[in-house]
Parts: sequence; C-alpha cells; structure tokens
Amino acid sequence: MKTRIFLQASLVGIAAAYSGAADACSVCISSGVGERLTDAFNWSVFFLMAMPYTILFSILGFFVYAYRRAAKKARAKERRTEELPVLNPASDLS
Amino acid sequence: MAREATLRKYVEPVEAARVPAFGGGEPPAPPRARAPVVSNGRLAILMFIAAEVMFFAGLIGAFIVFKLAAPLWPPPFQPRLPTGVTGVNTVILLSSGVAMLLAMGAAKRREKPRLVRYLSIAALLGAVFLLVQGYEWLRLIGYGLKLSSGVYGATFYTLIGCHGAHVLGAVSWLGVVLARAAGGRYDRGSEAVELCGIYWIFVVALWPALYALVYL
Repeated sequence: MKTRIFLQASLVGIAAAYSGAADACSVCISSGVGERLTDAFNWSVFFLMAMPYTILFSILGFFVYAYRRAAKKARAKERRTEELPVLNPASDLS
Repeated sequence: MAREATLRKYVEPVEAARVPAFGGGEPPAPPRARAPVVSNGRLAILMFIAAEVMFFAGLIGAFIVFKLAAPLWPPPFQPRLPTGVTGVNTVILLSSGVAMLLAMGAAKRREKPRLVRYLSIAALLGAVFLLVQGYEWLRLIGYGLKLSSGVYGATFYTLIGCHGAHVLGAVSWLGVVLARAAGGRYDRGSEAVELCGIYWIFVVALWPALYALVYL
C-alpha cells in the first residue's frame, strides 16, 4: 500500500516538475510558457473550448425555464377550472 | 323527402352514438393534443443561432491569436479604426434592438399599429448602422487599409464584414416581416415576428463584443 502511494506521489511529482512539456503546441512547436505566441494560442484555445459548453448550457437553461413556465401555466389553468362554479341545470333553469 | 326525414330521424342517432367500451359505459375520452413547450420554429432558430455563435467563435479565436501574438496592435503604418463614430453606431444598433423588443411585445398583444411602428424603427436603425459601416469602410480603404494589406486588414474585414453581412440578412428578413405585418398577415398572431426578433437580437448582442474586441 505504501509502495503504491509512493509510486503515485512520484508520478505526480515528475509530472509537476516537467509540466512545460504539456504546454507544447502542435501548431507553433513551442513549449515556452509566457511566450507571446504560445499565450495567444492558449487564450484562443481556451475561448474556443468554452464556447460549445456555453451554448449547450444556455440552451439547456432555456429548456428548463420554458418547461417550468409551461408547468406553472398549466397549474394556474387547472386551478382556475376547479374554481369555476358548477352549473346545475336542474336547479338553475327551473 | 319524407323518406329522407324518417331515415334521418331513426338512423342519425344510431350513427352519432358512441360505441361503448368492452367494460361497458362511455369510452375513454381521446387524448387532448398539447402544444409543444418549445415550438419547432423556436427550436430551429435556436439551433441556427448556436451554429452562428460557433462560426463567429472561430473567427474571434483567429483574431485573438493574431492580436495577442503581435508585439504591436494595430501594427505600425496602418490606419487607426474610427472608435468614436463606431461607438455612436453601436448605440444606434442597440436602440434598434430595443425597438425590436417592443415590437415583439406588441406582436404578443396583437397591437398592429405599434407592431408596424416598432418594426419600422428597428429596420430603419439597422439600415442606418449599415450605411455608417459602409461609409467607414470606404474611408478606411481610402486610407490604405485593404483586405490584402496584412493580417490587420484581413482579420478586420473578415470579422466585421461577416457581421455586416448578417445585419444585411437580418434587415432583409425584417423588411419582409414588416411588409407582411403592414399587410395584416399577423393580425391573428404569428410566430414569425418572434423568430425574426430573436435573430435580430442575436445580431445586435454580438456587435458590442466585436466592437470591444476589434475597435478598442
């Protein structure tokens, strides 16, 4: 158990020590953190990655809002129907 | 004639009677047709706008790369963009968005005169925005900023040109909706105004983001 924890911690340590390798960009062949072009690509990738999730959650949010609004309207309509006085032809028309 | 009347008397009640169910008594009422919570038209325009957002996201992503990677932006020896005039133009476009929101409200309440008035205002302000943009472009071309004059010109004309093309499309659509509304086609209510309005508001809401990114 202790060996396993030691190995896992070592892997995390190595990955943290050489984190620059993860910044390598396949387009600009650069791994320099803080370089202008690398930062520009990183911001662009971050923006493009965020957009589909933003759209997806916006549409989901709209659906939840639309369904809740429809359910609220249906409940209000039911309540109005229940509150209507019942017409008794036998007593009212006599 | 008398035979027909007799037949109707005896045959019609039998035809009109409902067939009893197997368990006896009245058959169950047919299921009531429910209107969908999100109509097909709204769903279609939502999907279309989602695709448009991704299209502009691609262009903005490319612009971010060029702008942040350049040591100087705008690049030297290139004309500066007219920030002030475009700022006023932004206000004009935002006002057209407000007019469209009012038109959508009038369409919901089925107030035809107000609907036509607000749609006309929105279309007019949109057309003014396009005219001012066109005038600005002519001046910039005169100063030497062209599509072929480097990354600055290429990204500017691509991004702002795509938005301009969308505004032109939206103004055309708005013109059709306005003509139909004036002709009384939407007097009994219609989804067309709402769909056009949603697209218009998308085009209007996109512009301040582009203005801040490209002009400021």
